[in-house]
Amino acid sequence: MVTLYFKLSDRAAIQIPVRQPETLGDLLERVSQETGTELGSYIAVRQGKVMARHQIVEDQDSIEIFPAISGG
Amino acid sequence: MFSILKINTVTGETTKETDNSKEALLGGRTLSSRMVSKEVPAQCDPLGRQNKLFFCSGALAGTTASSCHRLSIGAKSPLTGGIKESNAGGILALRMAHQNLRCIVLEDAPEPDRDWKIVVIGKDKTELVDGSFLEGKGVYEKSDLLTEKFGKRAGCATIGPAAEKRLLASGLACSDPHGVCSRYAGRGGLGAVMASKRIIAMVVLDDAKVKPDYADKDEFKKGARKLITLLQENPVASKFTKYGTAAMVDICQALKVLPTRNFKHGAMDGAEKINAQAMYDTIKERGGEGRTQHACMPGCVIQCSNVYPKKDGTILCSPIEYETMALMGSNLCLTDLDAIAMMNRIANDAGVDTLDCGAAIGVAMEAGLAEFGDAKAAVRMMEEIREATPLGRILGSGVKLTAKILGVSHSPHVLGQALPAYEPRGTKGMAMTYLSTPMGADHTFGFTLRDEEDPTTKEGKVALSKKFQVIGSRMDAMGMCNFARYSVKDDMNPLLDLIKARFDVVITEEEFDDFVRETLRLEHQFNTDAGITAADYRFCESFYQEAQPETGEKIDITDQETAEARSW
Repeated sequence: MVTLYFKLSDRAAIQIPVRQPETLGDLLERVSQETGTELGSYIAVRQGKVMARHQIVEDQDSIEIFPAISGG
Repeated sequence: MFSILKINTVTGETTKETDNSKEALLGGRTLSSRMVSKEVPAQCDPLGRQNKLFFCSGALAGTTASSCHRLSIGAKSPLTGGIKESNAGGILALRMAHQNLRCIVLEDAPEPDRDWKIVVIGKDKTELVDGSFLEGKGVYEKSDLLTEKFGKRAGCATIGPAAEKRLLASGLACSDPHGVCSRYAGRGGLGAVMASKRIIAMVVLDDAKVKPDYADKDEFKKGARKLITLLQENPVASKFTKYGTAAMVDICQALKVLPTRNFKHGAMDGAEKINAQAMYDTIKERGGEGRTQHACMPGCVIQCSNVYPKKDGTILCSPIEYETMALMGSNLCLTDLDAIAMMNRIANDAGVDTLDCGAAIGVAMEAGLAEFGDAKAAVRMMEEIREATPLGRILGSGVKLTAKILGVSHSPHVLGQALPAYEPRGTKGMAMTYLSTPMGADHTFGFTLRDEEDPTTKEGKVALSKKFQVIGSRMDAMGMCNFARYSVKDDMNPLLDLIKARFDVVITEEEFDDFVRETLRLEHQFNTDAGITAADYRFCESFYQEAQPETGEKIDITDQETAEARSW
């Protein structure tokens, strides 16, 4: 299972089984389809490092998903 | 078609010119940087007679389009020694549009002992009137006195006591929709430039209502509605509505680029005490005059601003932005939102840039003038700036000068302007932008962080920074709020269609970006002519020699790479 924490969002954290091998982009696309919501632009962080869409998700990963905004 | 009002601050004489060029049509930074390049000798004294101060409204000012009333203010900067454009929200650009003015220019400078004057611009005349009653007062009191004298609906720009003392980090405070001078063009010392002309405030009266003469009113209405839909439906822009820019605290903490302990670290224990959720909850809990969302300019649907209340619900400070929360918070190891808000309020009252002063206090703490985490000492230092004590004058002149005087080598700036709130060793894209803007370190100039797949590598960052320098400059180029860019990043036509409907002038996407790149080229040429060299576009040595503990990264960007990023 992978745990996704949606930061600065009303969404609760979700746990989702990973289909190996599966990229982050594919996993989030699946989440988006299953929940019927659009994620928009995001920054994903795994263990303090940015995770790119093409990177493979591992079982037991905890991933923080932030809306990709900027300062002012 | 577009009027430029020039005011001689020595004689009070005024001239009005018209300019029908597309550059004047676009206004904003497109116009201000061209006028600085054309009319200000690059090697002049920024606080001398030859410097000029330009106030430019944007292409859609005066219309009902959302987020279109940013005011671009340009001059040679006393802080960086190069060209400067600093922009602010508020109502001044709208009032200029009502007076049919695209640009106001303050020229020349009287003897430094001349009485302070206020420039008053109305539909029938422009005059210099006595401003000595404002001398020495904080911006909040000045704001009240200006409202009392000229009405709540007048558009004002004023300076604080820091600018009166010509401190290099002093800004210009512009009227918000409630008549309070709280919207800052904070960066680059432009307050000191206005003070050097012995102008303590500029007021554009609400006595004219020149309505936009739309080429196609129905098309404009349709386009304005489309823009609102784009802004409201964009998931990024909608996050700004709820949390404002404060949402960046968590993101930067997670990426380990949250400036901490005078930019020595990229993460802070207790960051959750000053994050967007903490601020949102505090504002909601205290209620009263507090607001989690607030429009800084009329008709803006993003409403990213906020009003932070005291415990009793009365206003403490508005707005508090992420950059301030970081530079006056985590950078000083402060985890007390009330202390940060108080520092912000004092900065607004003194009329200084919260970034440069926050960074300067960080340096002062490293020098041993106070302990990191000592909120009382940090607030006291801000009070010293407002009171213009000897230490306050040093801090209020920015981080570079403060570091030199206090003997601190880790001085977070580029071209003398403090680094914004992204620790550069952990984000090489932002580092590249800091090193390649003509304005000194500036995050808005090319915000790469959200698009960096691996922030810690410099690979590909020249191209990425340049891409976002164009994207970031597009909004400044026509007086739009920078946060509208998310909705038109891949397609500028919704805005260009509004220009067509407003003026019956076609500007293609390619032509528009040509204007943007030409502006960048002119700005860099100005800096070169001013004597700024490649050696000035660097961080201090410690950023290259000492690894940031959380990421293990140093700055590894070469002069050649930054030169490429400055090449247009």
